[in-house]
Amino acid sequence: MTAGGYFGQALVVNASTGTSQTLELPDELLRAYIGGAGLGAWLMHHLGPPGVDPLAPEAPLAYVFSPLVGTPLTTSAKFAVVAKSPLTHLLTDALASSHFAIAGKLTGYDAIVVTGARAKASALLIDHNGARFEDAAELTGLTAAQAGTRLRQRLGERLGRGWRVAAIGPAGERGVRYATISHDGRHAGRGGLGAVLGAKRIKAIAVRAAAKVAPADPNAVLAAARDLRERSFGPATAKYRELGTLANLLAFNAISTLPTQNFQAATFDGAQKLAAEDLAAARQVARHSCASCTIGCEHIYAAKSGRKTRVEYENIFALGPMCGVSDPDAVLAASARCDDLGLDTISAGGTVAWAMECAERGLIDAPWLRFGDADALLKVLDQIGAREGLGDLLAEGSRRAAQRVGAGSQNFAPHVKGMEMPGYEPRTLHAMALGLAVNARGADHNRSGAYEADLSGDLDRLDGGDAHVAAAVETEDRAAVMDSLILCKFLRGVFTEPFTEWASLLSAVTGWHVDGAELRRTARRIVLAKRVYNLREGWRPADDWLPERLLSEPLRLASGREAGLTPARLRAMIDAYYAARGLDEQGQPGPAQLADLRLSWPP
Amino acid sequence: MPGSAGVVLAGGRSSRMGTPKAALEWHGSTLLRRTVGILARATGGPVVVVRAPGQDLPELPPDVEIISDPREGKGPVQGLAAGLGAIAGRAEVAFVSSTDMPFLHPAFVRRVLRAVHEGADVGLPVARGHPQPLAAAYRTTLAVTADRLVQAERLRPAFVFETCTVARLDEATLKTDPVLAALDPGLDSVVNINEPGEYRTARSQPGPEITVQRFGVLANGSAPNGRRAPETVRAATVAEAAAAVGVDFGAHVTAALNGDQITRDGQTPLAAGDTVFFLSADAGG
Repeated sequence: MTAGGYFGQALVVNASTGTSQTLELPDELLRAYIGGAGLGAWLMHHLGPPGVDPLAPEAPLAYVFSPLVGTPLTTSAKFAVVAKSPLTHLLTDALASSHFAIAGKLTGYDAIVVTGARAKASALLIDHNGARFEDAAELTGLTAAQAGTRLRQRLGERLGRGWRVAAIGPAGERGVRYATISHDGRHAGRGGLGAVLGAKRIKAIAVRAAAKVAPADPNAVLAAARDLRERSFGPATAKYRELGTLANLLAFNAISTLPTQNFQAATFDGAQKLAAEDLAAARQVARHSCASCTIGCEHIYAAKSGRKTRVEYENIFALGPMCGVSDPDAVLAASARCDDLGLDTISAGGTVAWAMECAERGLIDAPWLRFGDADALLKVLDQIGAREGLGDLLAEGSRRAAQRVGAGSQNFAPHVKGMEMPGYEPRTLHAMALGLAVNARGADHNRSGAYEADLSGDLDRLDGGDAHVAAAVETEDRAAVMDSLILCKFLRGVFTEPFTEWASLLSAVTGWHVDGAELRRTARRIVLAKRVYNLREGWRPADDWLPERLLSEPLRLASGREAGLTPARLRAMIDAYYAARGLDEQGQPGPAQLADLRLSWPP
Repeated sequence: MPGSAGVVLAGGRSSRMGTPKAALEWHGSTLLRRTVGILARATGGPVVVVRAPGQDLPELPPDVEIISDPREGKGPVQGLAAGLGAIAGRAEVAFVSSTDMPFLHPAFVRRVLRAVHEGADVGLPVARGHPQPLAAAYRTTLAVTADRLVQAERLRPAFVFETCTVARLDEATLKTDPVLAALDPGLDSVVNINEPGEYRTARSQPGPEITVQRFGVLANGSAPNGRRAPETVRAATVAEAAAAVGVDFGAHVTAALNGDQITRDGQTPLAAGDTVFFLSADAGG
């Protein structure tokens, strides 16, 4: 009997043939990987051909749900999109929150996997009539939002209501390696999943509920939901509720943690102009919540043009300070442009910042592209989305672009494993430096929350050592569980004994008797499964590293203290991380660890 | 300063004070807690407290090292031998302080340490009319010399100075440091308190003048422009600074000192010229 909250099966759709089949997901496997990013990692092991080109038809892409989806537990309406990344050629998983998660799961599957490719632009429909494709030529070139609206309207007229649509924008159609998949203004943003779907010529996936699934103990789930909702109104989430993540910007600037002009500095003179503390009063027009969420972290600002844009710290950081742009209207316009094109704002901003530095150094022929030039920023984003001119190079991401330009530009390409860096300065956040270096997805602040330790005051953020390693392991484990249950990380502060409390939630939904210790083992398994996938796909020890600039150019803090991160210190932390994870000196697991991953399933 | 450390000699008898000076209340903290905090900030290295055997000490941060002086009653040279010996191999220079200097400023500590980093074996301030051997910097290799002198019952710091190169730092020399001259123009750093009246006088003074700025949700407010603007307040600790601007320094708030060290410890000492940023502890996004 399948556990509560699960259907015990995945739908595997072959886009080349238009056929589909069911993949059984036994209880033991679900318990080992839960759902979301964890189950997605296993699916990629199981269904992805080793060494596959991420943009080849054979490469699978999975929408993965979780046992908590559909319950009244706050922030649980999330889904993971998982594939081999065209940006990193390693595993990537990106989460989004929306009604797509609920409708997608209630198609009757814990995951929907797409392989193969269509001959022409298509939309994939899944409901009680199963999976089928239909022509999507009229959606080509539209933004994800436009495509979603148009397709829902079309399906509604013909097949009735209830459809939810996740779509790609023009960047995904044109194979930009950091293109997104979007639904309802929420993006599965990192790693180029939109390009994977675009390579399959699938513009959109539409899902409609067709089945029901109940938790094992509905009363316990309801009680937990009430309790969690109350806690979600407390001080632990006040920041997200009142100002949103953009509240980071001015604070990070004050403590030299705001990457600026392609990591040439960690403070930005124009930070005040982009600060949530000021902009919220002048520009905020609305605050929204994701589906099934009681926090309400979405802060919508209006530019002078009237265009409304959802602001987060990461999009404002990447398109503002990282590119030296301080005009809030320009940054909001750039963010909106990324949404329209279907571009990951972090990778777009990082790649453009690298190009601006190259242009200023005379390494590329683009004299119009300069730090701080807002018009140039918008122009180059359009070029990237269209893969025209310089944009064709930059659509490849900073690592590939730097390999082509050469001339030392690799040293300041702001990426780890090919993924552009988020807005956390590693030289002033040593635990985060380690988290960024070793994470399976690449430079990533959602799979490693080690910055929490750096900013906690419990350790010296400029003096990385054993405590920083322990923090990096712990936060990575916590992220692995939250991304698999799935719960929003903005909720993390309300849990006092997170693994125990999460185990209790999972037990109530599934009927399993899971405790905190088991969930800790599950976390380690998921983290390792991602690493082992990467090993299979060609990861090398040198990939667990940071850009040369960050290891050779120290910063000077306002206090007068020098903030640097030496290669020796990073090496020592990485070695200690490997030891803490039970890996050998080359970052490789042993046979017992591999056996625990259940990669040969059924056994 | 790289290669620097702090040593606090806390083992004195406090006979004139009549109560252990290390535990004297200081703006919600203690004198010893303040001293180790200032040394930790100024040196960036380990801080060792040398106490008498069996001596009770007030609560200190967990990273402060406490050692018991193996030879009680031998005075400051024995304290030097024990404290410098505990640091040797981990730092080149240590600022050695008594526990009873409530106005010690990090800029003073850094200026004095610099004398040894520039080549001397001892940086000895001569301020307020006296040499200040217990507000001085020592090369840690002098632990051996101090130990030998104690064995020979030569128990005055002056005997240490006879064996090495001493940079005597008079007031004019000290004040050539513009930061120190601006933040501690009267060289109050060397003021020590030995009697109850001195303590009461010192304690009655307002805390040092510092700047506070709030960020994020802590800066939201109904006042014009919210509560974002920097404010000047008087506070001797982070907790006092938080209270002065109405910030609840609880589980969801941290403080960044001069844009550098981040702390949740309300007893973290402040000195004139400091800036304290109050931040949301929930930094994700």
